[in-house]
Amino acid sequence: MIEVSQLTKRYVGHTAVDRISFTVDKGEIVGFLGPNGAGKSTTIRMLTCFLTPSSGRASVDGFDVEKDSVKVRQRIGYMPENVPLYTDMRVKEYLRFRAALKGMETKKLTSGVDEAVETCSLKEVQNKMISTLSKGYRQRVGLADALVTKPDLLILDEPTNGLDPGQIRQFRELIKDLGKRHTIFLSTHILPEVEMTCNRVIIINRGKIKASDTPRNLIRRREEGDLTVEVNGNQGKVLAALKKLPGVTSVKEEKSEKGWNRYLIDSNGKADLGEKIFDLAVERSWKIREMSRHDATLEDAFVDLVRKEEES
Amino acid sequence: MRTTAIIYMKELRSFFLSPFAFVVMALFTFINGWLFISTVNAMRVTTIPYSLVYNVFSSGWFWMGFLFIFPVITMRLFAEEKKTGTFEGLMTAPVRTGEVLIGKYGAAVTVYLAMLAPLLLFFPVFKMVTGQEDAFHSGAQWGSALILILVGIFNIAIGTLASAVTANQLIAAMLTFVGVMLHYFFGFFVGFATLPDSKWAAGMDYVSTVQHVQLLTQGLIDSRPFVYYLTFSALILSVTWHVIESRKWRI
Ligand SMILES: Nc1ncnc2c1ncn2[C@@H]1O[C@H](COP(=O)(O)OP(=O)(O)OP(=O)(O)O)[C@@H](O)[C@H]1O
Ligand SMILES: [Mg+2]
Repeated sequence: MIEVSQLTKRYVGHTAVDRISFTVDKGEIVGFLGPNGAGKSTTIRMLTCFLTPSSGRASVDGFDVEKDSVKVRQRIGYMPENVPLYTDMRVKEYLRFRAALKGMETKKLTSGVDEAVETCSLKEVQNKMISTLSKGYRQRVGLADALVTKPDLLILDEPTNGLDPGQIRQFRELIKDLGKRHTIFLSTHILPEVEMTCNRVIIINRGKIKASDTPRNLIRRREEGDLTVEVNGNQGKVLAALKKLPGVTSVKEEKSEKGWNRYLIDSNGKADLGEKIFDLAVERSWKIREMSRHDATLEDAFVDLVRKEEES
Repeated sequence: MRTTAIIYMKELRSFFLSPFAFVVMALFTFINGWLFISTVNAMRVTTIPYSLVYNVFSSGWFWMGFLFIFPVITMRLFAEEKKTGTFEGLMTAPVRTGEVLIGKYGAAVTVYLAMLAPLLLFFPVFKMVTGQEDAFHSGAQWGSALILILVGIFNIAIGTLASAVTANQLIAAMLTFVGVMLHYFFGFFVGFATLPDSKWAAGMDYVSTVQHVQLLTQGLIDSRPFVYYLTFSALILSVTWHVIESRKWRI
């Protein structure tokens, strides 16, 4: 659906997007993740033909963004960052205007707009002035605008930016649902969003792609999988035994009360440590009161990747 | 074509839904109405050469109000969309830059014609009410309508360009006002500055709005002003097209 190769955008003095390449297949929901100023919006603006690449190529459904820009735009439903809308229009009137502008036949306008209103739960506000709507509703109007002509590809630039937690959850569900019918490319810096909605994540930092994988794999790729155990047993022996377990990279102890000691274990995440520790405890007849695992999140993976960049 | 029509309708709608537009329209019509009446009165008490049409349209009062309406009509066109960000949504829809430009420009010209219409109606109404069929030539009436439309088309092109170069409506308005004034006064001064027999004189007359207005309001219809205003309007619009496109390569 999207093919990008060696895409570059230079502004005076710096390169916002630096020779990036990636593809998005039909039916995928891909998250485009990166910190502020990473170059997400710039990349998206090149895909939507708002900006022309300095070099490199990008195509949508086989059409080049420079040579076939109208055909590219016919295939995209785009929701820009901060969702700019004509605030002097009413919701339905606005959607009708946008659908017509995007080439929807006049006789299909009414049913097309009604459908978009339905999908984005805009029924209650459909005759309201956009200027009077809350942020959450405006965001939904933006989304309805993007999908009103039923384009194959939805490109959403920070679709949940500025929403409250309840709204974010609703939006995510909506996006997941839309993923059944459209290919979706969305940018964000909210990590749980990507983890929950996307099949694949592309991480970008300072204009360069750092990783492209499923959220699961990205998390697994992290080197640490942290574990906390609270054990009643000879402190020195426990420590030594834990350190010897395969895959363990470090063990720290935390004092605790009445013979119970807490140990923080870092491992390379490859072996299933929990089971091994449990076997060990049975063998040496220690008592275990607590064992908990700190599941790595995408956030950790993301921070790791970005931090590595900063350090080097 | 359809895209142009859709944009045209939307622009008209948002112009006529803003109270500001009506205030300016009312003010413009009021000033001209007052000017019309005082010209009629002046002509009644003293002998003034030339016709009513000529006298109204060569009045400084008329030009002051007239040159003010262009910034008001055009300042919003692109600047507002750039400021609020809707420009991005507009240009990422499957539209051609030319379609957007012509839709917006056409709407501005239409608004201008709507503002001008009451003034142009004063003259036939005057004839009807007073029954003075000989008060002025009907050629003068048509000629003045034509020249005002031509100057308007040209000035709106200037305003459209100004609105496309900035995201600030105030700056767009000021640029338009300066552009429109400069063009007007340029023609005004070259009339004085060039000797009648110099080889420049003919060329200067060619670009002088004042000269055009003098001729056309006397009913002397000439094709040169048509060529002049239409060519330059097209030229300015093509520059505007390039300005809109240039955002893509902005560095
Ligand atoms: N018109 C411009 N002129 C110069 N530099 C720009 C321009 N637009 C963006 N930049 C710079 O390009 C870089 C990438 O910006 P971009 O908007 O693509 O980031 P982003 O990943 O979308 O960030 P955010 O999460 O804040 O939206 C930034 O350093 C930004 O300052
Ligand atoms: Mg951005």
